[in-house]
Amino acid sequence: MDAKLSHTAALILQALDAGFVYGFSIMEMTGLPSGTVYPAMRRLERDELIRSQWEKQSIADAEQRPPRKYYKLTAVGESTLEASRRRYPLLERLIPSSEAKSV
Amino acid sequence: MRPRAFSAYDLLYAALLRTASFMVPRAARAEWRREWRGELWHVRQACAPLSGTNGWQARREVTAFCLGSFQDALCVRRAGSTPLPAAQGTPRQCLFVLAALLVASYAVALLLPGVRAERSLWPRQVSANLVQIQLAAVEGAPRPSISTRLFQSWQGQRQRFFDGFAFYHVENEIMRPALEAPAGSDWSAWRVAHSSPNLLNLLGLPIEFPDPEAASITLPSVLLSERIWKRDFGADPHVAGLTIRLGLRTMRIAGIAPDGSLALPGSVDAWELDPNAVSDSAGHGFVIARLTAAGRSMMDSPSVHISSDDPEYENEDLLGVALGQDQPAPQTVYLFALLLALLALPAITTVSLGEASMHPRETSWPRRLFRWSFFAAKAALLLPILYFVSLDLAYGFTMLSREQSIYIQLAAAFGMCLFSMRWALKDQRQRCPVCMRLVTHPAQVGQASRTFLDWNGTEMMCMGGHTLLHVPSLPTSWFGAQRWLYLDTSWNFLFAGSTRPIP
Repeated sequence: MDAKLSHTAALILQALDAGFVYGFSIMEMTGLPSGTVYPAMRRLERDELIRSQWEKQSIADAEQRPPRKYYKLTAVGESTLEASRRRYPLLERLIPSSEAKSV
Repeated sequence: MRPRAFSAYDLLYAALLRTASFMVPRAARAEWRREWRGELWHVRQACAPLSGTNGWQARREVTAFCLGSFQDALCVRRAGSTPLPAAQGTPRQCLFVLAALLVASYAVALLLPGVRAERSLWPRQVSANLVQIQLAAVEGAPRPSISTRLFQSWQGQRQRFFDGFAFYHVENEIMRPALEAPAGSDWSAWRVAHSSPNLLNLLGLPIEFPDPEAASITLPSVLLSERIWKRDFGADPHVAGLTIRLGLRTMRIAGIAPDGSLALPGSVDAWELDPNAVSDSAGHGFVIARLTAAGRSMMDSPSVHISSDDPEYENEDLLGVALGQDQPAPQTVYLFALLLALLALPAITTVSLGEASMHPRETSWPRRLFRWSFFAAKAALLLPILYFVSLDLAYGFTMLSREQSIYIQLAAAFGMCLFSMRWALKDQRQRCPVCMRLVTHPAQVGQASRTFLDWNGTEMMCMGGHTLLHVPSLPTSWFGAQRWLYLDTSWNFLFAGSTRPIP
């Protein structure tokens, strides 16, 4: 049997899918500390469930802030998240997908 | 970007991130710093509205955020090196680490001179078959009360209850630390015991002492008490071999008798094995006797009455007082501390091994036997480790007296036994019933689960994919103890496509 997805990882995938696409917003949404969220995202990226991308410098300059790194689910990540939702119906209720996509 | 005044806290946050970044491999360091600085900016913006009384709370949150960077940096560093080894968390790894600790603690015990000296005394301390003979009428501290004539008559007769006697008498003498030291210079008064040459053999002490008969060829030797060694020589480890002037004689220091090794009456500071100790003594002295098996059977109390047919003592009652029972041996201290720790253990953790939560169908008898064998092996390795470490702590410092060392060993052994047994139980509870590997990746299930699932605790998983372990933070009537969830084949499809450990 293959290794399993932890609660933390499932929660982060759901948060990413809900539109919380950078580390601090995931921290705020899930209540997990930075020492948990960022390492978890490194591992998810290593396992190709998510991928990261820097935003353009010009956008950050226009908003007078440093650029930030955004994360996005990959196709494998989406299928894994879909399977997690079937097993954990509460996952979607905890972080509704529509909650942040409109933000 | 909006310009903002720098404060001491900004410097602190920057310093934390910079320090953590040094753990990141050089190739990834610049990007890692860039991401964390960008995130820090947003964290600070989010916490900025909190001012006044909430300012401290905001600074604490930002600091906590920065401290999390260390875990992230460590994660990046590990990812850049090697993945988790396959043996991690296995019973074999656990036993290997414990065995290594046992070897290390034993090696340290062999190297520390204080522990070596204490170990050399153990055989004598466990065989309490020596008595000191004195007049029963002597009250308070023992005084020399046996005449040399009586001693010699005992030596000359075959005894039923004793198979060896040693005699010593104590004299006050002036000690000067060096041969060339002028009279009146640095000196101190010592109580020197002149004993018959068989004293050390009688006590069973493995101390190599020059043959007193050959003292005419070399200098006569003297053995110092640990107390006088610390007082007059500052615990100098190179004192053996030095020559001193004791009264009118020149003598060589043969060594140090550790506290408790020569715990004989007379408040002796130095010992000299003197072939003429008996003949030179005109008065009375102390007599030590070794009991035969018949004598030991008569010692039903710490002291027994002895009668003598000697005319001088026919109206006197003699007393044989057992020696070597006033201070406990290190093994006794350790066992006592272990017993106390066992009694105190339920106060700091549950003593359950979590066996009740296991499914009998999923856990066969051989597997259960293996679990118990593993627990027994852990305990068998832990107990000697703790014993040797407690010895290292108690007797590693030669400046301490034996009484102080006993208290240190008791406290250290109690604390270590208590928390080691707690670890052993917790480790056992967190091992997968199927493969015995340690469950990992703890996930704190907090407010959300408390609302929807009616529990609040930690969930861990077996890296072999066999089980999930649920441990409640606050035991309730409906969720009091940990539970194992066995993962059947239906879980395979859930994680399809995932072939490596996932956080």
